[in-house]
Amino acid sequence: MGRVITYIDAITEALDQEMARDERVFLIGEDIGLYGGVFKATKGLQKKYGEYRVIDSPISENLIVGAGIGSALVGMRPVPEIQFADFVSPAMDQIVQQAAKIRYRTGGAWSVPLVVRICCGGDVGGGLYHSQMNEAWFVHCPGLKVVMPSNPHDAKGLLLAAIRDPDPVLYFEHKRLYRSVKGEVPEGDYTVPIGPAEVKKTGKDITIVAYALMLVWGMEAAEKLEKEGISCEVIDLKTLLPIDKKTILESVKKTGKALLLQEAPKTAGVMAEISAIITEEVFDYLDAPVMRLAGLDVPPIPFAPPYEKFYLPTVDRIMKKARQLKAY
Amino acid sequence: MKVAYEKPKVEKTIKSDLELTNEEKKELYALVLKSRMFDERFRKLFRAGRFAGTYFSGVGQEATAVVPCYKLLPQDFVGPSHRELGCSIARMPLRQIAAQIYARSHSPDKGKSHPCSYGYKPSNIITPAFTIGAQAVLATGVALAFKIRKEPYVALSFVGEGATAHGPWYEAVNFSAVHKLPNVFVVQNNLWGESVHARLVAAFEDFSHRAEGVGMFGVSIDGNDVLKVWETVASAIARARHGEGPTLIEMKTYRWYGHSEIDPADYRQPEEVEFWKKKDPIARYEKYLLDNRLLSPEEKKRIEAKLEAEIEEAVEYAEGGEYAPAEWALEDVYADFKVEAPDR
Repeated sequence: MGRVITYIDAITEALDQEMARDERVFLIGEDIGLYGGVFKATKGLQKKYGEYRVIDSPISENLIVGAGIGSALVGMRPVPEIQFADFVSPAMDQIVQQAAKIRYRTGGAWSVPLVVRICCGGDVGGGLYHSQMNEAWFVHCPGLKVVMPSNPHDAKGLLLAAIRDPDPVLYFEHKRLYRSVKGEVPEGDYTVPIGPAEVKKTGKDITIVAYALMLVWGMEAAEKLEKEGISCEVIDLKTLLPIDKKTILESVKKTGKALLLQEAPKTAGVMAEISAIITEEVFDYLDAPVMRLAGLDVPPIPFAPPYEKFYLPTVDRIMKKARQLKAY
Repeated sequence: MKVAYEKPKVEKTIKSDLELTNEEKKELYALVLKSRMFDERFRKLFRAGRFAGTYFSGVGQEATAVVPCYKLLPQDFVGPSHRELGCSIARMPLRQIAAQIYARSHSPDKGKSHPCSYGYKPSNIITPAFTIGAQAVLATGVALAFKIRKEPYVALSFVGEGATAHGPWYEAVNFSAVHKLPNVFVVQNNLWGESVHARLVAAFEDFSHRAEGVGMFGVSIDGNDVLKVWETVASAIARARHGEGPTLIEMKTYRWYGHSEIDPADYRQPEEVEFWKKKDPIARYEKYLLDNRLLSPEEKKRIEAKLEAEIEEAVEYAEGGEYAPAEWALEDVYADFKVEAPDR
C-alpha cells in the first residue's frame, strides 16, 4: 500500500511539483496567496514561490481568466482559480469566446495552454451560490477540454496532464471530495491522460456512468447492489469533453442497460449527451431505455438542509433506480 | 525535466528616442498614407462584391492605429479590435492583410475568423474577437507575463470609447494599474460606438478620466495629430518599458464612414462629418511635411505611386488564392484531438 492522501492534498501537491519543475507555471485567483485559498488548496505556495507566481487578484473573474489567456499567448502556463463555480459567469466571455476559440480563429497559429481550476459541487450546505455544478455550460464549447476527477490519484494526475496540455482545460474539483476522499497517490511525477474514461468496477447487469461525487456515490451504491444480486459496471468519465465514447459503448453493449448519474440539473446536462450517444450508436444492444438520475431542474441547490437532501441523487435513490432498471 | 522560459533576446535598456529623424517622419507619412489608400481600395473592392462578409473602414483614424505601432519591438504585443487596419499596416506584410480580407486558404486564419479580424502571429498581433474590449484583458495578461519574466516589452491594446463602458475593460485597466504593468491602453474616441453617441457612454467628454478612478496615468490628445500621437505613445512606451506602469491615452478622432460598409451612418449630422474631415490627420501631417520642406511634391507622388503598386500586388495575391477545402472547418480545434467528420 502506497502513501494515502486526501483529494485536496493531491491538488496542492500537483501545483507545487509543477511550479517547481516549470517556471512558466503561475497561479492567479481570489484569496489564493496570503490566505492559501478558501479551502487551502494553495496553502504555502505563495510563501514558497513569491507573490508573482501565486497572485492574489482583485474580485475580477474576467480578468483572472483573461490575464491567464494573455500570458499563455506569450509562453506562460497559467493556472487561474475560480473560487466557486458559481462565480465563473463573469469570466464566461474569456473562457468561451477567447480560450475556446483562439486556436480556431487564428487558423491554428496561436494556442492557449491554460488550466482554469474551478471549485464546484454540493452536499456541503453551501446554498445557492456555493454549490453549483455548471460543467455542462462548457461541454457545449468545442475548443475547451473539461475534466473532473473523483479521487486523489486522478486529481493529481489529471491536473499535471492539464497544465502540460497545449489547449485550455477546465479542471473542476468537487469540494465535497476535498477532505472526505482519501486514496493512494504516488509521490513522484505522473499524469492521467485527458480523454479516456475508466471502468472502476466490472459488472454484467447495468452500466453506471458518473463523475466526481456521483461516481463516489455510484460506487457505494454498486457495492451494496452487488449484495442484492445486481451486478453494476461503473465507469468514471473523468473527461467530460472530449467524451470517451468507446469505453461507454463497449460497456453498454455488454450490459444492455445504462444508468447515468448527474449532480447538475437534469435538462441538457452532460448525461443527456451520453444518453444520446448510447441511443444513436448502440440502440440494438439496449434491453431498457437509458435512465438518468440527476439533480432537480431548479436554478441551483437550495440552502435549507432538507431541500439539499431532496435535491441530490443520493445513494438510496441510485439503488432504487438501479433496481427499477434491473427489473425492466 | 526542468522547464524554463526563454530569456529575452534584446538588451534591457532600450533607447527611446522621442524625436523622430526627418527620414523617420517620411517613413511614418508613407505608413499612414498606405493605411488610407489600402482602406479606400478595399472599400471599393467590397462594393464591387470581390470579397464576402462586410468591411470595417478605419479611414479618418489612421494616426491612432498606425502611429502607436510604428517602431515597436518584434516581441511587443498588439491587441487590436476590428477597425485597427492601421496596426497591421504598421507591423504586418500587406499581402497577409489582403489575404485575411479575402478569407482564402492562404489567409493567416485560413478564412475562419472575419475579413477585418487582422492578426498575425509572426507580428505578435492577436486576431481579435468581436466581444468588445476583450483584447485589453488579453494585453493585460501579456503584460503580466512580461513583468513576471522581467522582460522590457510592452503590450498595446486598442479600443473605441464605447468599450470603456464594458466591465472587463475596466477590470483590465484596474489590474494593470495595481501592478504597474507595461501596458498602453489606447482609447480612440470617435464619438460614436456604432450608432450610440459618446455622451451616452460617459458622464464626461475626456475619456482619460477613466484612468483617474483606477490610479493610472491618463492623457487626452488630438488623435488626428500624427506627431502628437507619436510623442505621447513613445513616452508612454518608454515609461512602460522602464517599469513605471501603464498609460491610458484617449485619442480624439473620427471615422469618416459607417460602422461597416453596409451602415449609411445617417445618425450623424453632415456638418459633423464635414467638420472632422477638415481635421484629416493625413492632410494635416502632409502639410506639415511640405511646409517644412521635409517632403517635396515629387517625393509625395513617388510615394503614392509606389504604394499603389504595392497595394495592387497585395490584391492580386489575395485574389489568386482559393477558398480552403471545406473540411478544414474540422481542423484547428485542438492540437492533439481531431474532431470527427459527421456522417451526412
